[in-house]
Amino acid sequence: MSGSNGTAPEPPLRPTDGHRRRTYPRFVLLVVLAIVAVVVGLSPLIGSVFIPPMTVLRILWGIPNPCVGTSASATLCSNWDEIIWQARVPEIGLAVIAGAALGISGATLQGVFRNPLADPFLLGISSGGTIGAAIVFDFHVGQAAPDLFLPLFAFIGAIATGLVILGVALSRYGSVETLLLTGVALASLLSAVLALLLLYNPAGSEQVSFWLLGGLGTASWTVDGIAMGVLLVTGTLLCLFGRELNLMQLGGDVARSAGVDVRRVRVWLILLASLMTGVAVAFTGIIGFVGLVSPHVVRRVAGTDYRYVLPGSAVVGAAFLLGARDVSLLVFPSSVLPIGIFTAFFGAPFFIYLLFRRRPTSTMGTL
Amino acid sequence: MTAPGTASLPLRFAGVSAGYGSRPALRDLDLEVRPGEFVALAGPNGSGKTTLLRVVLGFVSPTAGRVELFGDPVESLTVLQRARRVAWLPQEESPRDDVRLLDYVLYGRYAFHGSLERDSRADYALARSILTQVGLADRAEDGILSISGGERQRAVLARALAQTTPLLLLDEPTSHLDIGHQLDLLARVRDLAHRQSVTVVAAMHDLNLAARFADRIVVLSRGRRVADGPPAEVLSEELLARVWGVVADLRREPRTGMPYLIPHRLAVTASGPGPGSGFGPVHLIGGGGAAAPFLRALADDGYALTVGALHLLDSDAEVAEALVVAGPIEAPFAPLSPEVRERHRSLLTGARAIVVTPFAVGPSNLANLEDLLPFASRTPILLVTMPPIVGRDFTGGRATAVFAQLRTSGARDVTGVEDVRRELRALASAPATPRA
Repeated sequence: MSGSNGTAPEPPLRPTDGHRRRTYPRFVLLVVLAIVAVVVGLSPLIGSVFIPPMTVLRILWGIPNPCVGTSASATLCSNWDEIIWQARVPEIGLAVIAGAALGISGATLQGVFRNPLADPFLLGISSGGTIGAAIVFDFHVGQAAPDLFLPLFAFIGAIATGLVILGVALSRYGSVETLLLTGVALASLLSAVLALLLLYNPAGSEQVSFWLLGGLGTASWTVDGIAMGVLLVTGTLLCLFGRELNLMQLGGDVARSAGVDVRRVRVWLILLASLMTGVAVAFTGIIGFVGLVSPHVVRRVAGTDYRYVLPGSAVVGAAFLLGARDVSLLVFPSSVLPIGIFTAFFGAPFFIYLLFRRRPTSTMGTL
Repeated sequence: MTAPGTASLPLRFAGVSAGYGSRPALRDLDLEVRPGEFVALAGPNGSGKTTLLRVVLGFVSPTAGRVELFGDPVESLTVLQRARRVAWLPQEESPRDDVRLLDYVLYGRYAFHGSLERDSRADYALARSILTQVGLADRAEDGILSISGGERQRAVLARALAQTTPLLLLDEPTSHLDIGHQLDLLARVRDLAHRQSVTVVAAMHDLNLAARFADRIVVLSRGRRVADGPPAEVLSEELLARVWGVVADLRREPRTGMPYLIPHRLAVTASGPGPGSGFGPVHLIGGGGAAAPFLRALADDGYALTVGALHLLDSDAEVAEALVVAGPIEAPFAPLSPEVRERHRSLLTGARAIVVTPFAVGPSNLANLEDLLPFASRTPILLVTMPPIVGRDFTGGRATAVFAQLRTSGARDVTGVEDVRRELRALASAPATPRA
């Protein structure tokens, strides 16, 4: 009887530019992946010590450094092998791993909380890690093996905060709004606790504030190995939740009516995202903006399908952190500046640019 | 997938209560829905319609009783199993992302996939055929946020249909749509119910639409089922007054015989009982439309009203009938018969106050005025004198003479509707001692 078959089609509510919606997420992801590969390939050339590019490539290729020249320059270049293999490559590895971990956990949390601002910081997960680190610095815990205890305590702090949020999620007050506000309140509470810790015992405050800006200084093959293991397992698990996150963007009830066990999925996602953040925070300290910006970049270029946003955010996050490392070393080659300064320095303006380059048809993208 | 038994009912409520506190949303509800039925759930806000749907979807657990979906208790089904049996069209779904319509419909296939499985060719074919079914085939590549609200609700329907469930729940699916899209959506849903024998249960506010499209209307009030049956049997003026507290005309559409209703006013005014409640009947005398504005105003104030005597087909008589105001009716143009006058006098006897509206007095209704004379000393009488009686006296001065007699016995002159309301309020607040 009725129906729009016979009537003139209604004009769309908002003008749409046809080229924009056709996103080819798989193609875009391949391109981004290729860019990351190139950046990874070039990154060993950059470091605080200048090593001729051809020498770097030769060393990477497995050809022993000939180290020819005068005796003075020979002693100078004799440790280039070690610099490349024991410092630069693990550092690059850690940048890629931590960036990927932060990117994918940011994407997950934005999806779970249906909020474009959600990231490990907003929810206090990172702050939990800071408290763990502050305890180590302030109370000189485990001085016998600081390389073990600092990441361990940071990890425990992050996970503990994640578990508190998870507890709220499991209670019958576990609406998205309650969860988000719980996280925000926790973050404030934890920063107050941190301030108290530093006032009470200022001994470790310098280390803590350095740690608060993040860095790749802890990188080693062991660290990379552990972090990579967690990233692979957790990241793979997270990427299996793309469909669920897509449906959850329509609201918990709609997702449930379509068959998503929303409570169970939420618990899993918060747990896995906390694990991811915990690992990143444990080894690199607090590195801001990677978790917040990366998912937004992916949504712009590859669309909003979480089956692509999740792995895409990992790739973009890796590129972002590695790029920040490279830029920081190019600009200030002689000093090791905290990398968090650079991610914020580039991340914040870029994020604002993204917001103002309005794309009218995605609420998630435009806040 | 567990195949729902063919013999079992799509939906069965047995003694179901749900909700907490002093006023549970559902109370001891029994309901059986048969396969292929289009059932409309009607009832005022807060009557439990939405809760009923949410219980079926497993969002709310009943506090007592048993809810069965195709023979199995709802709580025994997993979220996934439930999603294969029942789909839901919410009042309004607000997608955040500009998802391609085709992908949006494919979201509905979630319950049929493993985590690693991709959407199959069959899924795409199904999604496209459903988009055709809801009239959006040409918009498959468009983003969900770029289409109009009416189209979006059809897209949401398409997503629900992609679950290919034998039962479909709709929660006030048309409340945000214009009238054209309302008809369109409900017609599509009804076709679905009848042609593909999908069972539909829809919470609906618009009773006219419910009557037009549903096979059966279940009326809920305060969590209980108070009426149930085909629209033509269920809807009645009495039901509307009892359940919704609304005075409405129920008519039948001449072509289809379907009931439709025209709501008039609240049986009890929204602001609680009006100034006139508990005052006692106010009697109005009128004719030719003179009484109508007084009837409406005083009915709104909550006065119990009587009217008389009027002629059949007189516009005042129609207003009185619409407002369910009692009064004796005479045949058109005939002088008032002794029986009619007798009934009129009995109404006058019971009246707390009498209002003489500015009607044209002729030989056929002069008796209305004359009958007032014995009451003038006992009952307050308000004579509306705008326009003055002289101009509308078609009885050769006899009506004017009656007016004069009434005034000498204590009747007071008033100018119009507001004046009457004021006078009546004053009477209502004064102690109720009849004047000697």
